[in-house]
Amino acid sequence: MIMKGQKRKHPPEDVEVSDPSSPTWESQRQFVFSVSLNKYQRGQELPEPSLRRSVLIANTLRQVSHEACRVPSVDMEVPQPLCSSSSELQESTFTGVEAKHHSAVMLSNSHSALVSCPVVSLNNLSNCATSRSPATCHLSASNVPLSVKDEDEDWGSMSTDSDFSLSAAISSILTALDSTIDGSPQAAPRTPLRSLENLSGPSDGGVAWGKQAVRGNGGSWEQQEELRVPESSVEVMRSSYLSEVTVEDLFQDIDTSLLERDMGVLGLRGSGGGYQAGDDLLRYLQPFSSSFPPSNPFSLSLNHNLKCLPSFSSFCPLSSSSSSSPAFLSPNLVREGLELEHLMEILVES
Amino acid sequence: MDGARMWHVSEPLGVIHSDLCPFSADIISTVEFNYSGELLATGDKGGRVVIFQHEQESKNRPHLRGEYNVYSTFQSHEPEFDYLKSLEIEEKINKIRWLPQQNAAHFLLSTNDKTIKLWKISERDKRAEGYNLKDEDGRLRDPFRITSLRVPVLMPMDLMVEASPRRIFANAHTYHINSISVNSDHETYLSADDLRINLWHLEITDRSFNIVDIKPANMEELTEVITAAECHPHQCNVFVYSSSKGTIRLCDMRAAALCDRHSKFFEEPEDPSSRSFFSEIISSISDVKFSHSGRYMMTRDYLSVKVWDLNMENRPVETYQVHEYLRSKLCSLYENDCIFDKFECCWNGSDSAIMTGSYNNFFRMFDRNTRRDITLEASRESSKPRATLKPRKVSTGGKRKKDEISVDSLDFNKKILHTAWHPKDNVIAVAATNNLYIFQDKIN
Repeated sequence: MIMKGQKRKHPPEDVEVSDPSSPTWESQRQFVFSVSLNKYQRGQELPEPSLRRSVLIANTLRQVSHEACRVPSVDMEVPQPLCSSSSELQESTFTGVEAKHHSAVMLSNSHSALVSCPVVSLNNLSNCATSRSPATCHLSASNVPLSVKDEDEDWGSMSTDSDFSLSAAISSILTALDSTIDGSPQAAPRTPLRSLENLSGPSDGGVAWGKQAVRGNGGSWEQQEELRVPESSVEVMRSSYLSEVTVEDLFQDIDTSLLERDMGVLGLRGSGGGYQAGDDLLRYLQPFSSSFPPSNPFSLSLNHNLKCLPSFSSFCPLSSSSSSSPAFLSPNLVREGLELEHLMEILVES
Repeated sequence: MDGARMWHVSEPLGVIHSDLCPFSADIISTVEFNYSGELLATGDKGGRVVIFQHEQESKNRPHLRGEYNVYSTFQSHEPEFDYLKSLEIEEKINKIRWLPQQNAAHFLLSTNDKTIKLWKISERDKRAEGYNLKDEDGRLRDPFRITSLRVPVLMPMDLMVEASPRRIFANAHTYHINSISVNSDHETYLSADDLRINLWHLEITDRSFNIVDIKPANMEELTEVITAAECHPHQCNVFVYSSSKGTIRLCDMRAAALCDRHSKFFEEPEDPSSRSFFSEIISSISDVKFSHSGRYMMTRDYLSVKVWDLNMENRPVETYQVHEYLRSKLCSLYENDCIFDKFECCWNGSDSAIMTGSYNNFFRMFDRNTRRDITLEASRESSKPRATLKPRKVSTGGKRKKDEISVDSLDFNKKILHTAWHPKDNVIAVAATNNLYIFQDKIN
């Protein structure tokens, strides 16, 4: 049943379970969720993703997340191998990110904000799903203990938020697909940076990024009439964001550990990291990883991710080391802190 | 199938394509008989078209129909590079459709993801000899040596089959073309991609009419794509297109220039008891074909084939399970991407039987009248010349009988996506990856 060369994974029972109350249903739902995310991402890395396949996978993702919201009383403690830990990871990081971004969402009703925040979470989930490291799962669960505790109470509100934001995320994926397809300057699903891009080098930065991404990714889709749409959405992003949100607020809200992982995703997207500000940001973000507990397997995986990305690894001092000992990190911390200040000024000024 | 009809391998070889062709064996991507059944065209992943011709019955083997031999081979599409988008356009032939024959030459349409081409295949079996101004080998004759005039005479020569591109219909599709269909007026044809359907005139290559456009203004709202389209066999104003959500829309071109609003909408309500995470994916229709009569149409989704009466929109009149044993394996099939495979289906000439492919090089035939079905395998081992194909069975229960194959032993890399049925006789063509099998039934 498994194609040649494919790693055999442990799927949940093959018997199709349509009853949400059955115990295998949740594990199957989570499995489908992670596989779908994985598939979508890998499909997007191709120069020409098949539209039919992308739409079917996106619809499945939407349905799976909707099903999750239908059954709020999910037992998070189910002792199963990878599936439960990844589910815990997903739920906790999801709600964690949601909590942190809730303020950002509230601040702006612009399309871009709604799009950027959930896509952050979606990318986080994808990274977590693809990394498949139990250590990573544990870390992230411990990283946001509050949200896990609050999770039961807030599940009612979170569920609707998550459903809404996830479908918004999926919509944004399709927009991104359209943008790569149409060759428009609209940014691809590297939207976690979108809010920062608008602030740093507004439309120029954002548009340049999108163009570069498009050149790297491309798509077989036409571009003529689509140029109008992304320009207007860039306009929207610029106007509402700058008026309502300050840089400090946003930076406080953002859990940079998750953003760092997103940088990994960005690098994977194949534009070759040609975006200067992106590299600067990564350097800026690096010191935040040092704030984690020393024996942090997460930074190991982060560094590993960075190593895989030639463009980023050449810039990041931390990526060249394979150890994550605190002794190594702290000398850089001061240096990076100064760079951080410098960068903050640049970003605020522009 | 009824007991009197048994399928066997066509002479001299069941396996043709890869053995007789001097080119490297490439995956066959489309198979199509022409209107008379005399010619069988195949397209492959390398952009080549190979046409087989039905030889006349041989006198020393009268109990068999004639064989199919290679008639013409040509390179239809080449790989292209879109410099603007930095993308390679695959040369793989997605579909071939024949035009009805109007003179000695044969015409067919072949398409890849972006460009449709009209090819003329003509025979040359005579050559003019005795030109005045040049020699037989083409060299110009010395004018002073010409002392008399002669009329060139047509002399027979070895048959030469030439294929020449007559029209190239390009730059009309942003997305990947999945279907082409010749209209019954023999003047127009439609081409469909994921989001749009265009209507062309065979003589005009620089423009086409867009008749269906389901692209949403906001791509975020895209949840459905077009998967197949076909013109009605008799009513030149009617066509259908299927979607990834398992729906079929019938449109009348007389109603409006843009047929975004359907005239009929075919959808079977979902069975809530069999609902799963993959319900939508397996409902995605991979092929739609009108019956020869024009009264029915057939759709293929992942697990079944459905026959619809055009007068009844709310459910199909017949449903045939192709490989229901895969329903419990959908999770794994999703993981290994097999769930996205697009199987085709076809009618026989009298619309009494339908055929479609499956995995493990199995293909299935359903008799609509007797409601009997048969599973056959297209493989070298079981297809010696003149051998009779043995019906195969997949064991679904715990106990596996002798000669049955269990679901877990199925080879999901061996899939039969493309099949074709002769429009008049009981001859079928089955494409198994890079091999073409031609089977015919035994005349008792």
